[in-house]
Amino acid sequence: MALVKLKEFCIPESPGQVSACAAKYGDNALILGGGSFIHGLEARGLLSEVEALIDIRKLGLAGMAATGEGVRIGAMTTFAELEKLPELASAAWLGALKDALTYPPMQIKNVATVGGCIAASCPFFDIPTAFLALDAKLTVSGAGAKREIGLAELFAGLFENSLEPGELITEVRLAKPAGRAASAFIKLEGTANDLAIVNAAVRISVDAAGVCQEVRIALGGGVGDSVVRSASAEKLLLGQKLSADLIQHAAEAVGQDISPMEDHRATAAYRLAMAKVITRRALNQALSRLN
Amino acid sequence: MLMTNLNVVGKRVLRQDAYEKVVGGKGFPVNFSLPGMLHGKMLRSPYPHARILRIDTSRAEQLPGVKAVMTPKDVPQIPFNPIFFMPAGSMGIHRDMLILSDTVRFAGQPVAAVAATTVAIAEQALQLIDVEYEELLAVFDPEEAMKEGAPEIHVGVKNNIRDTPSFSAGDVEAGFKDADYIFEGTYETQRVHTCYMEPRVCVSDTDSNGHITIYSSIGHLFGLRERMAYVLGLPVSKVTAVQAPYVGGSFGSKIDFAYIEALSALLSAKTRKPVRFEHTRYEDFICNARHPMKVHLKTGIKKDGTFTARYASTLCDTSAYSTHGPEVILVHAYFGLMLGYRSPHMKWEGTVVFTNNMPGGAFRGYGAPQAAFAVESQIDEICDKLGFDPIEFRLKNTPRQGDPHPFNPEWKLNSYALDECLNKGAERMGWSQRAKTGSASGAKKRGIGMAAHPLWVSGCVGFPDIYEHSGAIIRLNVDGTAYLSSATMDIGSGQNTTLCQIAAEELGLAFDSVRMAPGNTDNLPFDAPTHASRVTYSSGNAVKVAAADAKKNLLEVAATVMEANVADLEVRDGMITVKGSPAQAMSVADVVKRAESPFMVIGAQGPAPTTLKEKGTIMGISSVAPPANASPAVAEFVEVEVDTETGQVKVLRAVYAHDLGRVVNPAAAEGQVEGGLQQGIGFALMEKMLFDPETGACLTSDFLDYKMPTAVEMPSKIECIFIESNEPTGPFGAKSLAEACLIVPAPAIANAIYNAIGVRIRSLPITPEKILAALGKL
Amino acid sequence: MKQLISLEVNGDTHEIAVEADATLLSVLRDNLGLIGAKRGCDSGGCGCCTVHVDGKAVYSCMMYALSAQGQEIVTIEGLGTEGKLDPVQDTFVKEGAVQCGYCTCGMIMTAKQLLHDDPHPDEHAIRHGIAGNLCRCTGYHKIVEAIKTAADN
Repeated sequence: MALVKLKEFCIPESPGQVSACAAKYGDNALILGGGSFIHGLEARGLLSEVEALIDIRKLGLAGMAATGEGVRIGAMTTFAELEKLPELASAAWLGALKDALTYPPMQIKNVATVGGCIAASCPFFDIPTAFLALDAKLTVSGAGAKREIGLAELFAGLFENSLEPGELITEVRLAKPAGRAASAFIKLEGTANDLAIVNAAVRISVDAAGVCQEVRIALGGGVGDSVVRSASAEKLLLGQKLSADLIQHAAEAVGQDISPMEDHRATAAYRLAMAKVITRRALNQALSRLN
Repeated sequence: MLMTNLNVVGKRVLRQDAYEKVVGGKGFPVNFSLPGMLHGKMLRSPYPHARILRIDTSRAEQLPGVKAVMTPKDVPQIPFNPIFFMPAGSMGIHRDMLILSDTVRFAGQPVAAVAATTVAIAEQALQLIDVEYEELLAVFDPEEAMKEGAPEIHVGVKNNIRDTPSFSAGDVEAGFKDADYIFEGTYETQRVHTCYMEPRVCVSDTDSNGHITIYSSIGHLFGLRERMAYVLGLPVSKVTAVQAPYVGGSFGSKIDFAYIEALSALLSAKTRKPVRFEHTRYEDFICNARHPMKVHLKTGIKKDGTFTARYASTLCDTSAYSTHGPEVILVHAYFGLMLGYRSPHMKWEGTVVFTNNMPGGAFRGYGAPQAAFAVESQIDEICDKLGFDPIEFRLKNTPRQGDPHPFNPEWKLNSYALDECLNKGAERMGWSQRAKTGSASGAKKRGIGMAAHPLWVSGCVGFPDIYEHSGAIIRLNVDGTAYLSSATMDIGSGQNTTLCQIAAEELGLAFDSVRMAPGNTDNLPFDAPTHASRVTYSSGNAVKVAAADAKKNLLEVAATVMEANVADLEVRDGMITVKGSPAQAMSVADVVKRAESPFMVIGAQGPAPTTLKEKGTIMGISSVAPPANASPAVAEFVEVEVDTETGQVKVLRAVYAHDLGRVVNPAAAEGQVEGGLQQGIGFALMEKMLFDPETGACLTSDFLDYKMPTAVEMPSKIECIFIESNEPTGPFGAKSLAEACLIVPAPAIANAIYNAIGVRIRSLPITPEKILAALGKL
Repeated sequence: MKQLISLEVNGDTHEIAVEADATLLSVLRDNLGLIGAKRGCDSGGCGCCTVHVDGKAVYSCMMYALSAQGQEIVTIEGLGTEGKLDPVQDTFVKEGAVQCGYCTCGMIMTAKQLLHDDPHPDEHAIRHGIAGNLCRCTGYHKIVEAIKTAADN
């Protein structure tokens, strides 16, 4: 993990100290969450200019709370801590998050943070896909005013986020959807210790007549530079009475909204085909949670 | 008859080194250090094929903490071959590597080296070495490399063809004319890495007389000494290789020289300090790997299910250097492709080709996994097409116990129980209930498949120029225990425990009374590398001979002390008794004490001079060649589940049946099977080294990108059936086990996939994409 | 430039000067002589370097030493009491779960947390629990058995 230009390792205890360090190093300061993807970034040549690491574990950003409106998760909450949120065991609408948290190895869950995995803007991660389907909102703070953004606004490209120097994600909020809602997440992986080939998360609300009231379909795992929503598939389902044929049809439609990559994990053609298969499976898994 | 009254051999004894390994494992070579030690690092070429025009090291040399920098001009330009199981200067190997060369032939080849006070400084210094390269055209595909006009990788090697070995028996064309059916297919295997967990590491310490002492993770102590001396132009007596008590895995890889051993010695000589190198995982990945091979197989069959002719050709990418290529292809051909099944007419033609790929190395099975994938897949195709039972078909065409050994008719297949392997394995798996191919319904389909390897090796005996002999020293202690010393390296599979069991059994001691005492090349007899499934059989034989020698000496002393005849004495559990009069007993400890005692002993009548003729340490030594190549036989059955929507395959169950002559340690034997299956599933389904098609750079250089099975991908049921056929030339009847465990899984899995979904994949790994494509879904 | 830090390891406090980008693994091995955590890949892929930080199994090659300050670090050397092996260590020996042994210490540290969180894990939970630790020798079979046995005892 050699960072050849590293000059300073800051462990700020207040937002002001974060700003000070960030002001000094600008774009060459890297905010450190759990640190579990540092090697991944370094191996891709993305850290060669880093001069300062800002370890934000002392800012008190860990913690989570559930209310009638939904769930608030501090950015430095680890996956392992988040897994213990009682609502995950019982709330069908949080199923996608519960599913996504089962995949990472123990050592990653123990350090990887909710904020870090989002800010990394890595299209191969799992939790961001689940968050996108759950319509996550982020609180971002920095030298300027606190701001609220939707998750999709954060992603600015492959390993690129839209945060300004010194800005960091402080909280992730998941609003409980209205009606009978459930969600699910599925990852296709080479081994149980691998980045996703493709992953898919869905959240769906269905009324008593079996008509889809609301739906979110998100895909990740190299189907684009960022995790993406499939508007085409969502449109096919919204307001329609659900059937196996319709679900199959909607799953096929995700192909219109993704541009899969070709790499050593999979060809673009395989990713495209699998995006459809696991979208269908994720829809069915979510629907099974409504019964 | 299998001896049944054994006390130690055959028992599930606990590994002696395990206690140390669970608390930290201080004996791993990676933990070795010396005071004042410097750290070495290599600068590696970014180009796959280039000439070095100029190297400027001046900036690196000025960096504080840098103690020495080496470039090709500082290094003896003595061509060598890194493989250890043949003498460095033997006729049979091509010597075309240099420690540092001004011609680069693969991406990542070292071009310079640095020794500095810390690893970080050494790494920083590498950035300050300026190298001017003249880039040359590179070729990575062996078929392209053979074409006219392809880049010349080694001067004078026409079309980059290193070797074209072949053999022929009978008239294969006539055989095909006699055939009722002819089957033909091409089977491809990929470049996979051994992925030993402990990185390659070494510390060299050169004294002021120029004597080099090296501590290393290498799996052949004497090979290391010999190759060091050879490449440095020194007599072997100027090099001492020190044995580590254990090494963190090899699987074949570490029976080769890497670059670090010689570089550490040279840097140590230059700086007069010990110099340590440790590979990064990337460096380990590009150090050596299994040879990719393309096998074309043509087989003539009669209606009765016997072979009329077997023809094969093999294209082997030996990489940028010869290394193992010319040798691995022969083992592949004889013990992989041809000798396991009888045919009146056989012909094989091999082609070993240079490319600009990373070096080929040894990997468990040494050419046989590539062969077995072809042969066992094709037999499955034949049986499927012609309606033969795959087990009966194999039994009809394989050698039988008592037959002359197909490799060397001067040997006999004294013990050979392939039939039991096949029949017992089939019964355990429920083979007779196997569903018809492709008959499973639903998106997830299950299937059962099997593969055999009728004839493998116990020691790789019989090839020209191969080191074969082993030696051992046994010393008895005054407390009734024994030290065993052997130059065999325990690379992880528990050889030391197995050898201690053999020694204890022969000596008549309890297992806990024998301890492995590590040594070095100055004080140990020669032993061949830990390779070729040879340690239990070949080193085991040497240990048994040394133990028998020590026991003879022990009983001679005992006979004098006990006033008995040697022939009447026996040893069991540390006690020496006179046969037929158990009251006359003396412990081994007391006999050794007497032998090592001063010239006076205190008896009931007071001090008296001893009357013993034999004085001093009771020892036994040996240096022997293995008597034969006692072939084990193996069959494996697997059940898989194929997700026909995603193409993903899960291995649900494996039954592995192996004739190993005699089980010395059941837990260690099972461990070989279980670990072999992990490597086999990786080879069959997911592992593949990938390289940038332009630059040749390794893209799978860590475990994020090189995927091997985790505990989740392994079946929860792995069942071992060990058949004890009692090989008369083996120690207590033992033959070998290790490599076969990785030879059979891939074809067994491929055949099970065929049974599940009715499509045949003839190239490894069988990825989800290949399955979907074969099913017409991609 | 080096910084002076203080680390709590196995109940002892160590004052050490480290580079800002030094990993916990390198400090444990190279500064403190605690060689139980192994360098297998240095990239969070193999698990040989697993230690506990505040009771949680982590890849010590992926944690900066500076980030580990103020937390309780336990390595394999910190297991067991008064010369006696920890039951998980003992079971690994007795079940034959150790071959080359290079992954063993990391595997045991992972197993310790697994059994702490779930004293009676089923086989599925064990296999997923150790999925972040690679082993090339054993096929994981006897490791899984050893963890089952340790849970039963």
